[in-house]
Amino acid sequence: MTREELLSKKPLRVLEKIRENLERLNEKMEVIIELQKHGQNEKPVLPDASLDVMTLLSLPDHLRKTAMTICRCGRATAEEVAEQTSRARAVESAYLNQLVIMGHLKKERKGRKAYFYADRDGQG
Amino acid sequence: MGKIIAVHSYKGGTGKTLLSVNLAATFAKLGKKVCLFDLDFRAPSLFAILKVDHAQCWLNDYLNGACDIKKVMVDLSSSISGNGKFFAALANPGTEAIRDMSAKDRKWEMRALGRLLSLRNMLLDDQEFDYLVFDTSPGLQYSSINAIVAADFVVVATTGDRSDVDGTRRMLRELYNLFEKKTGLVINKVLDSTSKSKLDEMNARVKDVYQVPMLGLVPCFCEILRAEGNLIFTQDKPNHPFTKILEEMAKRIDANQAN
Repeated sequence: MTREELLSKKPLRVLEKIRENLERLNEKMEVIIELQKHGQNEKPVLPDASLDVMTLLSLPDHLRKTAMTICRCGRATAEEVAEQTSRARAVESAYLNQLVIMGHLKKERKGRKAYFYADRDGQG
Repeated sequence: MGKIIAVHSYKGGTGKTLLSVNLAATFAKLGKKVCLFDLDFRAPSLFAILKVDHAQCWLNDYLNGACDIKKVMVDLSSSISGNGKFFAALANPGTEAIRDMSAKDRKWEMRALGRLLSLRNMLLDDQEFDYLVFDTSPGLQYSSINAIVAADFVVVATTGDRSDVDGTRRMLRELYNLFEKKTGLVINKVLDSTSKSKLDEMNARVKDVYQVPMLGLVPCFCEILRAEGNLIFTQDKPNHPFTKILEEMAKRIDANQAN
């Protein structure tokens, strides 16, 4: 590899890392904004709270729509959920992360994508 | 793509099973590929109505994760006229099984919902079924709400009974609306249905009370009571007014789902 190539790759990697960190920071800020917007009603509950139908019924409307979409899809990114609900990706990302904090959903990262799912096969 | 129809009601005895069986049979008579599911685990009845005693597995086993859905489904197409296909998935009527299903916890119910939702891929997508019809338990029970969440359309059966009217209105507002479900109302056991003007008047009143689309008004037919659940009415009595009402209902659902 030539010196020029090496120099051109390193900044790219650094920039990629910065972008990833910014995205994660953004997700966390979206959750904080949403929690404030809804008066922090949706406090974190049990670390492994099932997403059963009674829980779905008790969720506020905005979160129920997101949770229902995950129930139907099984596993999805914020972008995929946004396609189904016709709401903005950033909004869905915030709601999904909120459901993770509440213990109703699990989150798994694969590369740059974050997947959300209801843990139906957990203990119990 | 096929659809899941749940037949539900607030109270028992509104005619859910009668409607489910005959709606599924009518779809099959119209040439559709249909499977009828007995999700009334507290009072299973389809095994008796359809006279099936040879299911390899029960629907309970499928929801317990103990067997494949194909082992549950019984092919009853030969009992229906026309080119359609008619299958049934039955609930275990044994006392032990009923007790077992009543004692399931939230985690189990969550997994059961997952298994109901996966019927969409397995039967509607892969096996090209046109309709899965869920016959449910009345009221707000886990198994019924699971069925409603999994369904595309809910047929709500009700009667003129005061407590039924109030409960059904509340359920429309606090259950189906919250899950954003499309619903169609069937008023069963309607009395004084002899004149068209009375029926029109009732239709208008019902629309005003419930604020949801009407699927049909079913008069109280003594012939249905006399049959004592021994036959698939729409199949055995093709010219009976009940059969005509069910055909209209099936066509209305079909048109609604195509939109």
